[in-house]
Formats: sequence, structure tokens, C-alpha cells
Amino acid sequence: MVLKLYARKFVSGGTAIVALVLAEKQIPFELIEIDLPTNQNKTPEHLVRHPFGQIPCIDDDGFVLYESRAICRYLCDKYPDQGTQGLYPTGLKERALVEQGASVELTDFIPYVLQVFRELYLKPSHGQQTDQAVVDQALAELYKKLDVYEVILGKTKYLAGDEFTLADLFHLLAAPRLADLGVDIWSERGPNVQRWWKDISTRPAWLKLRAEGVTETTTTN
Amino acid sequence: MVLKLVGAPVSTCTRRVATVLVEKKVPFEFIPIDMSKGEHKAASFVSNQPFGQVPYIDDDGFILYESRAIGRYLCDKYPDQGAKLVPALNDVKGRALFEQAASNEYQNFDPLAYRACFEMIFKKRRGLTPDPAVFEQLITALAAKLEAYEIILGKQKYLAGDEITLADLFHIPYATTLALAGTDIMSKQGPNVTRWYKELSERPSWVAVKDGVQSMSSY
Repeated sequence: MVLKLYARKFVSGGTAIVALVLAEKQIPFELIEIDLPTNQNKTPEHLVRHPFGQIPCIDDDGFVLYESRAICRYLCDKYPDQGTQGLYPTGLKERALVEQGASVELTDFIPYVLQVFRELYLKPSHGQQTDQAVVDQALAELYKKLDVYEVILGKTKYLAGDEFTLADLFHLLAAPRLADLGVDIWSERGPNVQRWWKDISTRPAWLKLRAEGVTETTTTN
Repeated sequence: MVLKLVGAPVSTCTRRVATVLVEKKVPFEFIPIDMSKGEHKAASFVSNQPFGQVPYIDDDGFILYESRAIGRYLCDKYPDQGAKLVPALNDVKGRALFEQAASNEYQNFDPLAYRACFEMIFKKRRGLTPDPAVFEQLITALAAKLEAYEIILGKQKYLAGDEITLADLFHIPYATTLALAGTDIMSKQGPNVTRWYKELSERPSWVAVKDGVQSMSSY
């Protein structure tokens, strides 16, 4: 039975990275749209799938999984030889370096990106005021971390070595949305960071996803 | 060459790694870093850990940082030694459920628990004034997340299934620090979370490291 993706068409958050891995690995899937404004993520039916009431989650022929970064790892482990190779290598040290980079994304990147996103988008959309001081501080912290990325990316092409892996891909979860909000966090960073961001954010599968939204496929192409 | 763990003796992340080393019965040399003297910002440290954070390991020349990455590496390097804390690499569904639980720790528990501890404990250490209102807000938000934990732990013994995994162990450093921050939330949420937390806080590997990490040459 084809994999079911419970998400929405809009390419953002966990949905974005899961949809990207499905595209990169050429995995067919059916999209079951969960409408957030009408709280379809809080129905008893969805809470059985996802006890924290979030999206995305998948049902792979009866195997239910949530947390987008876990889903991405699962899809790479299940289809190692299909589509884009090397996203989640199996060698001991190679995988450890991917996990190191993935942990850096969670600790040193996304918290600041999400703070900015919350202040500039989520709060206003709920009628609350943006706190510009929070935005400024989050950006200041983020830029300090990206100064370290500059050092790392001066030694290797990508975060876990010279191949594109999930450690890089996970950065597409929320950062592109800042550009949508008119916040440019990249063009004044160092040349290595700019090279890396340009590389990962112009991957053909990503550009197609952003242009078309999450689109179910029933055949691989 | 014996594995080196470079960190601070009572840092949460250093103790997180030390717990896994003890669970897997891996001998290690502990190299303490004095953060009050800025040793974690020295060039020799930053050349190994570019963010200037503790801990990192040097495993016979292989440098790795980020405590949760180190934990996974140790389990994958020594699958048949000590406690089995992650499913086998070829158990694709088992690994996925482990990663789902590990992601919960990082997304739904750690940010709130860390900020609560920061507010009431770490701020004081830096000469800043704790804000009890912020602390209460964080604990209320954490309680809501723990309601989902209560449901999960009513269906299975641990977060990834009926076997303990790194996903459970990763919670221990901040979960136990919450008590020092002034909340007994880990024992008040419901019977399942209480049972799970009690077992984790009494885990011998944690007890061995909780008051300060030291080198271990044999087990």
C-alpha cells in the first residue's frame, strides 16, 4: 500500500523536509491534508496517530511515525539505494558526523530561526504584537552561530563532510520562511555559508516543491 | 588508545555522555575543562569543538561533539557490549521509533526543561535575577507536553517501546535538574511519567556520574 503523508500542501516546517526527502528518494505517496485552522490535527483520530497533535506524520502500510526528522531518517534507511544517495550514510563515523550536524541544527540554528518566525509571523497572525527586541537578539545569536558554520564550511563542502546529507537538508525546515517574511539572514554572512546555503536551497527537488506545494505522486519518475 | 571525554564535571551534556559511556562499559579518560576560566573558548578547544561548548570526545583521533550524536555513536560502535540502548542498525522500524522518541526529547521536552532550569538556576550563577513568572509559564507548558508522555507511557514501558533506549536516558540530566529549579513536576504528572522518571533517576549509570564525571578505566 502506498505511503500516506498526513500534512498540508504548504511547504513549511516538518512537512517541508519530509516532502523533500520523499522527492529526493523518489518515494510515491498519498497526501491526506490535515487542515490546521479547523483543528483537524486535534481530532481524536489524529491524536491516535500523533499524540502531540502535530503534522506531519506518516502511515507506511500500517507503520505510523511522527517527528519529521525521524521520518526523514526512516525514509533514507528504508530506501538506501533509490534516488539521491548518501543522505544518511551507514558507516559508523560517517553517520556520527551526520548526527553531529543534525544536533547542531537543533541546538544552534532552529531555535533562533523559530524565535524570529514566531515574533514576525505567528504572533501577529494571532493578534499579538511583535517584540522587536526578541527578534534582534535572536538574530544576533544566530549570526554568531553562523560565524562558526563559516569555519566548519571552510573545511568541508557540507556540514557532515563533502556530501549533502540530512544534516544540511534539515536546515530547510524553517529558514526559507524568513525570506518569505522579508528577513534576509544570509547575504551578510561569510562566503562559505553563502555558498552552502545557495547550494542547498537551489536543489531542483526543493525548487520544484516550493513552486508546486506538496503534491502526491503515485508513480516514481 | 583509550577514549577521551573532554567536558565539565557537572555539565548536563557532559554527564549525558558519561551516562552512556558507563551503560556501554566503555573505559574513558575524563579531561576536565574549567569553564569559569574560559578554557572552552581557548584555541586548542575550539579547534576540536568550534562552538566552544562541552563536551566532545576524542576516540583515537576521531573527534565528535554534540552529546546526543556521541551517545548514538557509542551505541553503534559497541552494539554487543553493555546495555542495548538503540535497536540494531538494520532494524529500520525499530530505529525509526527510537528516533521519533529522541526527537520528542529534543523538541517537546528539552527546550522547556532547559529554559526552566536556566531561569531559576543558571541565571543566579551568572548574577542575573530569576523571574518566577517566566518559570511558571515554562512549567505549565511542560506539563501539557507531559500529558502526551503520560499517554505514551501508559501503552508501553519506555518512550520508544518496551525497551529502554537513549531517548529515555537523554532526558535524565535536565529532568533531574528541574527538582533543583524548584518543581516536582516529574513526579506529579501521572502514575506513568512518575514511574518512568523514578526509574531513570535511579539508573545506576546516572547515579555513578551525577555528582561529577571522573575517568573510568574498568567496569
